[in-house]
Amino acid sequence: MRPLREYVRSFLLVELLQGLRVTGRHLFKRSVTLEFPEEVAPKSPRFRGLHALRRYPNGEERCIACKLCEAVCPALAITIDSHQRADGTRRTTRYEIDLFKCIYCGFCEESCPVDSIVETRIDWHLMESREQRVIGKERLLEIGDQYEAQIAADRAADAPYR
Amino acid sequence: MSEQETVTIEVDGRAVEAVKGEMVIAATDRAGIHIPRFCYHKHLPIAANCRMCLVDVEKAPKPMPACATAVADGMKITTDSQRAIAAQRGVMEFLLINHPLDCPICDQGGECELQDLALGFGRGVSRFTEGKRSVEDEDLGPLVATEMTRCIHCTRCVRFLDTVAGKKELGGMFRGERTEIKTYVGEGIRSELSGNVIDLCPVGALTNKPFRFRARSWEMLSFPAVSPHDGVGSNMELHTLRDRIMRVVPRENEAINQTWLADRDRYGIEGLYSEDRLERPMIKEGGQWREVPWEIALRRAAESLRGVASHFGPEALGALLAPTATLEELYLAGQLVRGLGSGNVDHRLREGDTSDQAEAPPFPYMGQRIEELADKDAVLLVGAYTRHEQPMINHRLRQATNSGAAVMTLNPRRFEWNFEPVLEHAVAPGRMVAELAAVACALAKGGKGKGADLPDGVEALAAKSETAQRIAERLKVAERPAVLAGNMAAGHPEAATLRALGTLVAELAGGPFGVLAEAANTAGGWLAGAVPHRLAGGAEAPLSGLSAREMVERGLRGYLLLNVEPEADLWNPAAARQALSNADSVVAITVYAGDALKESADVLLPMGGFGETAGTFVNSEGRWQSFRGVTSPLGEARPGWKILRALGTVLELEGFELDNAEEVYRIVAAACEGVAPGSRYPFHKGAASAGSASGGTELAGAVPIYSGDPLVRRSQPLQHAAIAGQAEAVAAAETAGRIGATDGGMVRLEAEGGAVELPLRIDEAIPADTIWVPAALRERVDLGPPFGRLTVTAV
Repeated sequence: MRPLREYVRSFLLVELLQGLRVTGRHLFKRSVTLEFPEEVAPKSPRFRGLHALRRYPNGEERCIACKLCEAVCPALAITIDSHQRADGTRRTTRYEIDLFKCIYCGFCEESCPVDSIVETRIDWHLMESREQRVIGKERLLEIGDQYEAQIAADRAADAPYR
Repeated sequence: MSEQETVTIEVDGRAVEAVKGEMVIAATDRAGIHIPRFCYHKHLPIAANCRMCLVDVEKAPKPMPACATAVADGMKITTDSQRAIAAQRGVMEFLLINHPLDCPICDQGGECELQDLALGFGRGVSRFTEGKRSVEDEDLGPLVATEMTRCIHCTRCVRFLDTVAGKKELGGMFRGERTEIKTYVGEGIRSELSGNVIDLCPVGALTNKPFRFRARSWEMLSFPAVSPHDGVGSNMELHTLRDRIMRVVPRENEAINQTWLADRDRYGIEGLYSEDRLERPMIKEGGQWREVPWEIALRRAAESLRGVASHFGPEALGALLAPTATLEELYLAGQLVRGLGSGNVDHRLREGDTSDQAEAPPFPYMGQRIEELADKDAVLLVGAYTRHEQPMINHRLRQATNSGAAVMTLNPRRFEWNFEPVLEHAVAPGRMVAELAAVACALAKGGKGKGADLPDGVEALAAKSETAQRIAERLKVAERPAVLAGNMAAGHPEAATLRALGTLVAELAGGPFGVLAEAANTAGGWLAGAVPHRLAGGAEAPLSGLSAREMVERGLRGYLLLNVEPEADLWNPAAARQALSNADSVVAITVYAGDALKESADVLLPMGGFGETAGTFVNSEGRWQSFRGVTSPLGEARPGWKILRALGTVLELEGFELDNAEEVYRIVAAACEGVAPGSRYPFHKGAASAGSASGGTELAGAVPIYSGDPLVRRSQPLQHAAIAGQAEAVAAAETAGRIGATDGGMVRLEAEGGAVELPLRIDEAIPADTIWVPAALRERVDLGPPFGRLTVTAV
């Protein structure tokens, strides 16, 4: 019996009509496709995107070269060299993150005792050559400076839950 | 432990053997049971002031400190009972009251005893809401960084400086919560062992200053190594990060350095990456230095050496080898020069007199093991300031004096010791032979001499000296005496006679004579055949050549230098400079390209520095210690033995088809099989002139503690240390008065090599008619040898 029924159905185009019904339904629904890059999806304050190094309001970099982020990084993406700055404080001479190695787990941010290294909402960063995958201290501080308002707001929004 | 009485105690239900009278913590440490502690250290006296090691002792009314409770038979101890843990947690809470929470910026973070124990015994949240104490820091000099707010007053550093380093340089000031560890007069620490307080400090109060903030303990790799700075061969660990050596820490070896390390061994490494480090081969063309590939440099070096050998005869070629080079390098360098037909090979760069070499023992041996020095009851030091020459040997001598030993010295000046020598005999260098002969004569008359009659000629040498008499009397009553000749004896122009007389004195006193090696491989150089008259293993060389002193003073046409800096490493730097600038070709295999070397050399081949080469050092007690290269040589530098192998191959010499350094080691080791150490230097009549003619002013000098080898000379922290020598002329007030010079005024010193002007300092430690000028410093090169005659005039 079954083959016969299938045979008849194939002539009646039932499946096609069923498919067209889905199409028709979506034709009148609100579109969910975002016109990237003109439109971007909303993000949680906990979003873990591109890294940044923050400063204190007086302009002093927060990082004290404790190297905890380097130690905790599961992908070994962070490389730090440290020294004693002329004023006697402990500072980095090199702070590099290899973005190809990084898995954006956020451990570095978790481990930071001075809230210096953070992961921002930036998820749209591109590079033109392989060399650019390593971002250094200057670039990280630059990102931090540029997005400080948002970074601070995000930490504040998340603070009650921590 | 076998001959000591033992008792059995029970710790956590386990039976533990303990030596009667020892403390509980010592027994549990041996048994592998951990008891937390801060103030206890096995080589320091017990203070019991941190109270962290409180344990539960059965029948005791309260917890007892394991470090200050002696074992008793049948004692039952619980280290993890509720009462013990509660006590330890309580102590930890008190310790953390005033300890800052700055672990992220503290250099001790990750290797901190307080941090570790706080994890086990600390509370998650502090109950302390009052203000924390903070303490002002003190500058302890260029080696030790301080952050005294972190101090928990365990007093390990205080006890170390007092009982081990020998000077009470730190102490606890004030009382109770206001206790501060400070220097007494704010002069910093002058001890040559000061770096050990860094290892001892359980927190980050005292940390390594040059290493400050450079790396974390957890990210570095650790490799065993042997110190290259003196004949002790202290064991240490090199910590590396990304192919760079970051710091040095001691490696425990009870037979050599215990748990300590001299500052020279710890901070010498700071000179490794100095600015004048040679990274690429260079050749000089028309007075200009040019970097070239290895092939060209090697070919040029081979051509120069061959050229000299064929032009002027092979005996116009000589090799000056650093006694800090490895056994393998010294052996290959010897083979290379001998392969070219010359016998002029020597590593005894700072020795003034090698006339006894034919009858010398196979290598300079200290006559005993380093450990045994601590058991001596009388030691005569001849031309030795062990505190700066071999700090770890001095440490053993200090241990001996702690148990009542009499240390006596016969030196060209008095020194600042860290123990009380019973007698310091300071005489002008020209009189040292006569005084030592007088000791021998006085000993022979006393009759304890075991059949060793005084050889002919000793009496003729002897001076009439009451002090020598007293030295002899003290040696006579000693049960375990020893005579040790140090670096100044080796650099003395009559060193051979001093050694022979030293042997004699030791024999008459019934103890061993020993020669303390100056450099890491002074002994190894003899065994590897880096001496002109012997091959590896001490076999007679078919063609005997010139000693280092002769090579320099006679002047050869061609030189091969192995990590030698002519103006600082040689006995007669003035002659060395002259000889090298007169030579037709100088090939230098070197770690650093100093200005002096660049002036005289024609080819510079970059060699791997310390820690970059596999090799072997033989120490003063004849102990062979091999080590690996732990980082790759800087730039295009190569390990020394590889350069010599390549050079040998280019020169088409035989015996250079070697695959690795171990192969070279095996050759030398096979040659040295059955070589028995000895330290007997026979005395021959007429070998020495009977004391130099009196009347003139004499020059004396020793190499300052941080000027011994190219590496340590480049270590900036050490050069800024309080005890690093500076160029000056030192004389007693009477001598200065005769010249008409005043303290701080300039004097002009004229010796056979030339003349220099130096500031004069008046110090009564210098004997009459003697001017003390530290050796191996650039400012005094023109003076020539460290000892000799000179004329002095006030400027």
